Amino acid sequence: MFNLSVIFDIGVVALRMLMPVYAVVIVYQCYAAMRRRRRTEKPLVTLFNIKTGEKIPIIFWENSIGRGRGSDIVVSDPTVSRNHCVLLRRKEGWFISDSYSSGGTFVNGEETIGRKRVLIDDIIQVGSTEFQFRRGEEFNERLTADRFFSKVSTKPAIKSWKLMLLITIFHFFMCVEAMFWNGGTAVYAPVVVFGALTVVEWLFFFVSSFILRRVNFELEALALFLTGIGVMLLVRQELRSAYVQLIAAVAGMIVFCIIIKLIEDPDKVNKLRLPAMIVAVCLLLLSIVFGKITNGASNWIYIGSISIQPSELVKILYIFIGASALDVLQTNKNLIELIIFSAVCVGLLALMGDFGTALIFFLTFLLVAFMRSGDFKTIILAVSAAIFGVTIVLKFKAYVAERFSGWRHIWEHTQDNLGYQQVRVLTYIASGGLFGVGIGNGFLKQVAASESDLVFGLVAEEMGVIVAITLALAVSLLVVYARAITTRSRSTFYSITACCAAGLFVIQLSLNVFGATDILPLTGVTFPFISCGGSSIMSCWGLLAFIKAADERTYAVKR
Amino acid sequence: MKKMLRRSTMIFVLTIAFIGGMGYLTFELVTQADDWVDQAYNAHISGEGGLEQAGKIYDRNKTVLAQTLDGVRVYNDDASIRKALLHVVGDNSLNISTAAQSMYRSQLTGYSLIWGLNMPESLKFKNDLTLTIDAETCKAAYDVLAGYDKKGACVVLNYQTGEVICSVSTFAYDPNSPPEITEENEKEYDGVYLDNVLSSTYTPGSIFKIITSAAAIENIPDLENRSWYCSGREEIGGNEVTCVEAHGNVDFKGAFAHSCNIVFAELAVELGADKMTDTANKIGINEAFNIDGINTAKGHYDVSNASTNQLAWSGVGQYNNEVNPMQMAIICGAIARGGSSIKPTMISDGTDELLKAIGFDTSKPDREMFNSSTASKLDEIMRYTITNYYGDNLYGGLSVCAKTGTAEVGENKEPNGWIVGYSKDSDCPLAFACVVEDSGFGSVYAAPVAEAAMIQAAKSLGASAVN
Repeated sequence: MFNLSVIFDIGVVALRMLMPVYAVVIVYQCYAAMRRRRRTEKPLVTLFNIKTGEKIPIIFWENSIGRGRGSDIVVSDPTVSRNHCVLLRRKEGWFISDSYSSGGTFVNGEETIGRKRVLIDDIIQVGSTEFQFRRGEEFNERLTADRFFSKVSTKPAIKSWKLMLLITIFHFFMCVEAMFWNGGTAVYAPVVVFGALTVVEWLFFFVSSFILRRVNFELEALALFLTGIGVMLLVRQELRSAYVQLIAAVAGMIVFCIIIKLIEDPDKVNKLRLPAMIVAVCLLLLSIVFGKITNGASNWIYIGSISIQPSELVKILYIFIGASALDVLQTNKNLIELIIFSAVCVGLLALMGDFGTALIFFLTFLLVAFMRSGDFKTIILAVSAAIFGVTIVLKFKAYVAERFSGWRHIWEHTQDNLGYQQVRVLTYIASGGLFGVGIGNGFLKQVAASESDLVFGLVAEEMGVIVAITLALAVSLLVVYARAITTRSRSTFYSITACCAAGLFVIQLSLNVFGATDILPLTGVTFPFISCGGSSIMSCWGLLAFIKAADERTYAVKR
Repeated sequence: MKKMLRRSTMIFVLTIAFIGGMGYLTFELVTQADDWVDQAYNAHISGEGGLEQAGKIYDRNKTVLAQTLDGVRVYNDDASIRKALLHVVGDNSLNISTAAQSMYRSQLTGYSLIWGLNMPESLKFKNDLTLTIDAETCKAAYDVLAGYDKKGACVVLNYQTGEVICSVSTFAYDPNSPPEITEENEKEYDGVYLDNVLSSTYTPGSIFKIITSAAAIENIPDLENRSWYCSGREEIGGNEVTCVEAHGNVDFKGAFAHSCNIVFAELAVELGADKMTDTANKIGINEAFNIDGINTAKGHYDVSNASTNQLAWSGVGQYNNEVNPMQMAIICGAIARGGSSIKPTMISDGTDELLKAIGFDTSKPDREMFNSSTASKLDEIMRYTITNYYGDNLYGGLSVCAKTGTAEVGENKEPNGWIVGYSKDSDCPLAFACVVEDSGFGSVYAAPVAEAAMIQAAKSLGASAVN
């Protein structure tokens, strides 16, 4: 006794139930593919200890040599300094660079000044220890791989185009749901947006595979998956924003490609640091001078009808400025330059009243500082400085203190700004259930900032809490990937930028999700890739470039 | 590079912290989702679209009280039943916050964490709810009460099982066509969104003599042997206490039956503020009673700042005393049960999921309100009041014990007429409380409401006395 409408309803619900499973499959496939197609664990070169006859495999692109236990090549020789020198590989070949060691570093008996090229069979002398520089094949024991890459099944990874197809179909399902939005008008609007999205995605894929000739595409695929979800969610909220978001995403992809190109040579990057600092400070100053005050923060610049949030773009520059190659790190240990620059940035952000971004900057500073030096004393200093700053902020900025006063008491503030957004996020997350009420059927979209600050709630309400959690995990797992490729990067510059970029994603994600759900007392931070916001999506793609660049396969051209 | 890997562990810790946070959020979601959903602003269930998705509400005989037909929420066919049960069932406006449709809205609409809300109409799992209420009894009580065109309340409950059989509150309106309340008709609908049975308190007047009696029985050993002379008025604590008439020589039983103010005023003063307060607190006058998660309005007995004369008046249920109708029915039920009260409920049955979501509690812990000897003495004098004063034929053969009250409220208003009591019949164990505001003698106004409700309730229960 089923009539047509019941069958139709069953179809709609079945689709909603399919989506979470499908999302899990896509995210799994992206990460599974990232684990595969790596070069085998073989030493690049071998150091032969002439005295002991020991063969030391060199597996990294940059290797520290020293007495310290943290060194990549530990030389137990009292005449060797703790951080003696760095052996590094560049396009031109292998170099050695002394790190102001007390005894100096010698190649074929000649003391090195700055970087010195080493050739096969050269003799490297550190302290009283002598190594002969030999080919990688000299070392014939097996090396164990990182856990992320070990035990990978021999089955080949899903082909990139198949992964892309899966993602496109997922977006298509979202489009179908949006078309049948309850009482929806303009049935074709979702189709048009979906069409444009598909063209952008596949165009990017073709550019990457055939013009740039990149071997792998999983990282970009994951980002496209998230970006597309953000765009499709906007269709039933504000159509114009969907197009703006898509255009900004294209700009982001261009930024992505440019950054990868720009940082191709980790040595040239050093020369770009000062200009980058100037640009960063200028951008921040620009938004103080020309910025319009929105929600108590003057972080927006309006150029005609386009609004930009410069602080989003400064994040990219910030990480870029913070990172360096290993030999530079070892010779230039002090962080003062970075601390001053950070203080200026945070100060300018505080002047703007954008405490959310200031906080993100501060946390990023901690990440960069730690990755660079690993020095807890520096960090303790920075933390105490920040606590001091925060105290002042709480004292002078009443509304920040107010945010805290509503925290964990939102149910007493369902109708005022201390809890209005958060209680609605929770109510609508719960209303969505596991599978959501369907694209466009939600009511959270009527709440201000639901497409940006509260987007986690929007996804949970319309697509179900499983999808929302899956997407959050997809972003947070970038850290696992970034960490796994750390030792395979072509320079510590990439290791630092990748880990910091991934860490920044997790910080933003945490502040977004937990701020909107009253676990943390802060809102106004975007969900990476999904939140509506042109500057935000561009900065996400920009940050992603760092993770992409850290994978040594990125610059290895397809043969 | 090894150092980088080691340092990057700190960033890895961030991810672990994030996953931990997500776990905490999920935990909160699983444990609190019902509360989160059940919010007035939740557009999935409120507004005009809300109750269309709710299941049916039945009375104890499976009479449909509310249901959705063709996407419209409709109520019982009988207009009297609709109005009588307005405050129990509720209406589409959700203005009556203690009504079943407001209290259990998200459960009736079939909310579950798995499916959320807003499933397509054809696939929705609806939850039905069966109340312990008897629609016909409510109708009988309502018809009498509405005939006065006064505000009032009538509650009847089974003191053995706790089931509430009848709960009627006036003023009321027809939930099928809710009125728009304007300045012109606001008098007619004064307090209409409040369920007087659960959420109002009234000056008790003479029904409070039950509590004063309990204090006297427990604290004055020679009470039975005493006698008093009532001349209709007497000066206590520098001011007069008056009676409706001069009762002459009375003993304790006679004083209770004739509701002699002089005797109970003197008893209250003799007992003193402490003993009166102790007894009132033991009975729970100053407490709220929980009925399926709804708290009744708290009564009030506080003589800490009272003068002797005020203490005297508090003994006859005046001064600043207040009681709630549901509370009085529970107290009468406790007397009938030999001293311990039962926790009332209005929910008879529902889908397991719904009962679980409501947190339906089948355990009904007793609470001792009276010593068993006190209860049996109260039973004796309340029974004597009916047999020797009002006549035993009024309740269709039920053995009723009761006390009326006529509470002066001042402000140029007529008194609140009260009657509270219970039937002793083992196949009809019912306690009741009725109040009619701004009316007159309890025996004239409240008693007929109780009578109609009790007789109909006895019929519905199939009691032998009325058949």
